Amino acid sequence: MSSIMLNGKLGGFFKGGRRLGQSDPMSPYTFISSLDITRIFSLKSVSISNKKSLSLRLWPLQSRFRVHCAAKPDTVEKVCKIVRKQLALPEDSSVTGESKFVALGADSLDTFEIVMALEEEFGISVEEESAQSITTVQDAADLIEKLVEKNGA
Amino acid sequence: MMKIHCYERNFCVSSCSLVPKPLPPRMETHFWYILPDEVKSSSLLNQYLDLLSPCEKENVFRMQGDQLKKRAILARALVRTTIARYQINSQVSPRSLKFRKNIHGKPEVEWQLDEDWRPPPLHFNISHTSSLIACGVTVDSLIGIDVEEKQRTIKNNILSFAQRYFSRHEVELLTSIPDTEVQRQEFIKLWTLKEAYVKALGRGFSGAPFKTFTIRYGAAISGNFNSEASEIVVESSDDPTNLTSNWEFTLLELAGSHYAAICTEKDNACEGKGNVPRKLTVWKTIPFVEDECVSGTGAVVIIGGLTESEVIT
Repeated sequence: MSSIMLNGKLGGFFKGGRRLGQSDPMSPYTFISSLDITRIFSLKSVSISNKKSLSLRLWPLQSRFRVHCAAKPDTVEKVCKIVRKQLALPEDSSVTGESKFVALGADSLDTFEIVMALEEEFGISVEEESAQSITTVQDAADLIEKLVEKNGA
Repeated sequence: MMKIHCYERNFCVSSCSLVPKPLPPRMETHFWYILPDEVKSSSLLNQYLDLLSPCEKENVFRMQGDQLKKRAILARALVRTTIARYQINSQVSPRSLKFRKNIHGKPEVEWQLDEDWRPPPLHFNISHTSSLIACGVTVDSLIGIDVEEKQRTIKNNILSFAQRYFSRHEVELLTSIPDTEVQRQEFIKLWTLKEAYVKALGRGFSGAPFKTFTIRYGAAISGNFNSEASEIVVESSDDPTNLTSNWEFTLLELAGSHYAAICTEKDNACEGKGNVPRKLTVWKTIPFVEDECVSGTGAVVIIGGLTESEVIT
């Protein structure tokens, strides 16, 4: 399930067909998304009443069209930074929540190093079992927030 | 999407087919490796890509950047062509092989079962770095391998990393090494051995967290890192007196540039007969183009474990 922001507020949810990967073609996904989004528009009565036709513009994922999942963007951003540093990725390479560590070229030694850096950055301790289940930046961010919350509790 | 250009020079699969090999006997390991830099032809890379399953191809295209895509293609092509060499039956070809993962995520062959035919107890494991991809094969014995570049550095401080992940004995060993370069090399060797063990077990990292076992080898015990290769053992941290004696290790220096660790199950039939050295044969390959047996040459230097290099002409 993914949520959609409308003008900075939660607009609704739509079911993604599958997770969007790095090189996945956007068009089928955005077509399906746009149908759902249209439904959200109509339910929310967003101010399009004066227009006879609805034109939908989807911004690229990185800018306006933000799909929010569990972790805060700030956490995801910090994880991206650590991953970039560990893997010595070029400035122009794309690292987002959806990025899979393996697809970025991380091997298990890199992953152990990334986990260690995340533990230090966030003051948490990651069990081997949890570390094993992390495959994307988003997974790492979600786990971090869970552990931070547990620490705070 | 990676654009694959076809050059004029074509490699015909029919004229350069895989050289068949008999399966390794029990207590022997076959080790195949490919150097990505030696694969320069885009048409050859296309041929390798063609061997992959749709799912594998999808994974290749998800890799970020041409180098990672190439590496992913070569890794899958190496596994497929290596296993297909053993001519398991007439149905098996590099393209026809199917793979699955066990419940812990360890890859294995999914044999197409037939009424009259039982698949051989073939085991394999792969490992890759940016400059070398390897596949180990055994029969009747679990196997795990790991390769790392000798020059690999880690971003964290070695002792901090070891304190976080390695066992107490291993941390003590690394701490006792005064020279930072030797310390780094020993760290990499330890890492490959530990990784190979966990991969051989096939239960994932949580099945055998790195902290819960210690790898000891001759140099580590005597403190003399120039001593000749001697036995490598693994012991459980919970019970140091219990040497986990089912497993044997080989540590190699490969192509002058990499450390490679191989962990295999000991043959139970050999128990009580003393330590029978395991035989190892190593090939450098460019599938469909050339295979070179490099055991006994400078490309393969055994630096740990009781293993005999088997040269097959």
